[in-house]
Amino acid sequence: MKHYLVIQLARFGDLLQTKRLLTTLCAEKEASVHICVDNSLKSLAELVYPNVTVHSITAHGTGLDRAEAIQAMLSGNSKTFSTLKTFNFEKVYNLNFSGLNFRMASLFNPEQVEGYAWQNGQEIIGLWPTMAMRWANRRRIAVNLVDFWGGYRKDMIEPENVNPPATPNGGGIGVVLAGRESRRSLPVEVLSKITATLAQTEKTHKISLLGGPSEQAAGQALLKSLPLSVQNKTTNLAGKTNWENLVEIVDSLDVLLTPDTGTMHLAAHLGTPVTGFFLSSAWCFETGPYGLGHTVYQAVTDCLPCLETTPCCFDTKCLTPFANSKFLRFLATQKEEHLPNGMTAFKSEFDELGQIYIPTAGNDLDASSRKKFREFIMQYLTGKGGKTSDLDEMFAQEIYREKDWITNTVPSATLGL
Amino acid sequence: MEKFRILVVLPLYGGSLPIGRYVASALREEGHLVEMFESPEFNSAYNSLKNLKVTADRLDYLQNSFLNVVSQSVLAKVETFEPDMVLAMAQAPLNHQALKRLRRDGVTTAMWFVEDFRLFTYWKSFAPFYDIFAVIQKEPFLSELAEIGQPNGLYLPLAADQNFHKPLDLTSIEKRKFGSDISFMGAGYANRRVAFRELVNHDFKIWGTEWDDDHVLERLVQMKGARVSPEECVKIFNATKINLNLHSSVQAKELVTFGDFINPRTFELAACGSFQLVDKRTLFEGAFEDDELATFSSIEELLEKIDYYLNNPKECKTFIQKGRERVLKDHTYTARMRTLIDFTASRMKDWPRPRNQTSDFLNELPIELQQQIRELQGRLSLPENVSFEDLVWAVRQQQGVLSELDTAILFLDEWQKMYKKRS
Repeated sequence: MKHYLVIQLARFGDLLQTKRLLTTLCAEKEASVHICVDNSLKSLAELVYPNVTVHSITAHGTGLDRAEAIQAMLSGNSKTFSTLKTFNFEKVYNLNFSGLNFRMASLFNPEQVEGYAWQNGQEIIGLWPTMAMRWANRRRIAVNLVDFWGGYRKDMIEPENVNPPATPNGGGIGVVLAGRESRRSLPVEVLSKITATLAQTEKTHKISLLGGPSEQAAGQALLKSLPLSVQNKTTNLAGKTNWENLVEIVDSLDVLLTPDTGTMHLAAHLGTPVTGFFLSSAWCFETGPYGLGHTVYQAVTDCLPCLETTPCCFDTKCLTPFANSKFLRFLATQKEEHLPNGMTAFKSEFDELGQIYIPTAGNDLDASSRKKFREFIMQYLTGKGGKTSDLDEMFAQEIYREKDWITNTVPSATLGL
Repeated sequence: MEKFRILVVLPLYGGSLPIGRYVASALREEGHLVEMFESPEFNSAYNSLKNLKVTADRLDYLQNSFLNVVSQSVLAKVETFEPDMVLAMAQAPLNHQALKRLRRDGVTTAMWFVEDFRLFTYWKSFAPFYDIFAVIQKEPFLSELAEIGQPNGLYLPLAADQNFHKPLDLTSIEKRKFGSDISFMGAGYANRRVAFRELVNHDFKIWGTEWDDDHVLERLVQMKGARVSPEECVKIFNATKINLNLHSSVQAKELVTFGDFINPRTFELAACGSFQLVDKRTLFEGAFEDDELATFSSIEELLEKIDYYLNNPKECKTFIQKGRERVLKDHTYTARMRTLIDFTASRMKDWPRPRNQTSDFLNELPIELQQQIRELQGRLSLPENVSFEDLVWAVRQQQGVLSELDTAILFLDEWQKMYKKRS
């Protein structure tokens, strides 16, 4: 029996986006797959990955004072670390570029670790994540995070086998009020109009507002701003759901309206259709809903995708198309002439590498270079292809570095034939 | 005594390399947190440049570039380790640019220049760039240092490592291999080559390098003139009846030069409880009393004393006992490092810079965890009152896969930095 460990210490959405890697590992015969997550995500991880053994530690920062933190880390975490050391892991996939992940890797031999390793007190970054950092300035043509993490394995399962195709489930519309990063979420007044339009167009019987305790007030404001006929069908569930309820509700929906959030990835995981609103730092080609049957409205102003941590000097102009009344007409009619400038409507599709999005209205100016880049990456990962595009030399010079092939890279070169 | 973080920068190679290791060991024994910059690991790569068969200017460029990378590596280590002092041994690979950067960043630097300043004059180039400059000679060196802009010259003679240079119980095989009536351990300098020709009819073994092409002494040279390890040196010292200690000189006109500095062998032999005949040095005054070291002032006197002590071995015992006592009392690397630290504190204003240290963290833990951490402190040879920050670094210094507690400590430290939970 081979044991594999995936260390995923990031957030809700990241846990769901680890699915291609986890499913690939689970597909291996006689393999036992483990994941280590923050305590707050343990029960969710157990719900969404029933075939995976879930371990948890204190990694996130919320709510602990110093004394509690010391107790949690030295006593609680130490116990989990002790348990993990009892497994002779064939490979440890350490996924997050964080000091915490580097230090956790000290439990293992660096040769065991893919991603972020620890060698005699030195932090070491593997080749595959290093390459991803090198293409960080080409985010418009980027690879979906689900596929990137899946790419740690050259035998990664087909993208079609990650999430079920999305189909309506009869439970009405779910509306996610906001993500963790506010600039890439739609303001209540914009979301309210979109919700009302889609509720009337879809003739829905039920609307559920979803979010955490901090979104309760936004939920109330949204509720009040809806037309009375829609209000009557709407329930503000913000702050009232645990992981189990949330999974149940999202699994029942016909569609989930959402910015780029963890709940969006949960919907994709469950096969619930997503209508995603992507603006600011959110770029669907990086973190869009994974699977077939999803829709994304992506702002495409020339400043995108930006960094949420950097102040916007353009007065968040990428929000303008979502606030434009033409967008509501487009939602109702799906006629391209009503699509506002600065936005493209996409539907989710797959290519050989994984998730892509095809425009149903509007333009995708990067489609050609993105295709070439994906072929370039695909060839690196699998050796398949071999047709050299006119951009390959540029990609090669940006993505490869001399030390990649001149020196012995640990953690291992990950992939490539 | 206050505990410090000290980065010891070793040279790429050479005589100050083992001294750097003794220094680190002494500092650790005193409870300081020591990190080593292992320059010798870079040496083979540096030397390989010389096999390129390229033009001289290219080679020069490549060598400078390489040493710059090594220097930058020291700086990177300083950034991470945040030492209270960077202690560079002679020939340490710190270029001017790096030393300027350390000074700009307020990092206290010290060099222990364990060289003869008259022969190794490169000190003039970089001595002013160090905060503290410890040397093994007194005047006129200290005045000359002041003249070129180094006001913090410190006379800091060499020493012995009492845990390493000590009496040994040798096996009969070791006694046979390393033992003889007379031996000399060291390089074949000109004055030694001439002096030792007088001893070829004795049971005399010569150990060390650079004895090639000497047809008279050739048959006395052991291990074909190979480098002798420090461990083997101690065995030789212990196995020999009379250890010769003739300080080096590049000229052969005056065989006994009455020079100033005291070589490390003087202290090491005494610490080993081994009898030595050593040529007189001006700096013996204050370092040793007459009954602590058997000395000679000429080769004639050396020959007389060899005969005398070979025939009167009991006479050696007083020197052995008193010499060893004196070294253990005054001339250990531990004592030297105390002197260096006290001197630094007296010369450097507000040294060391205050740092946020969490020293009471153990009290915040449950009893069982306290016990585990105490065991860890013991395993890492850390003092009981070690700060959390120093514990973290000591854990990080360990090689290979870590234990769950080690990892949990590193994780907690990183978590605290990330979430700024430190009170």
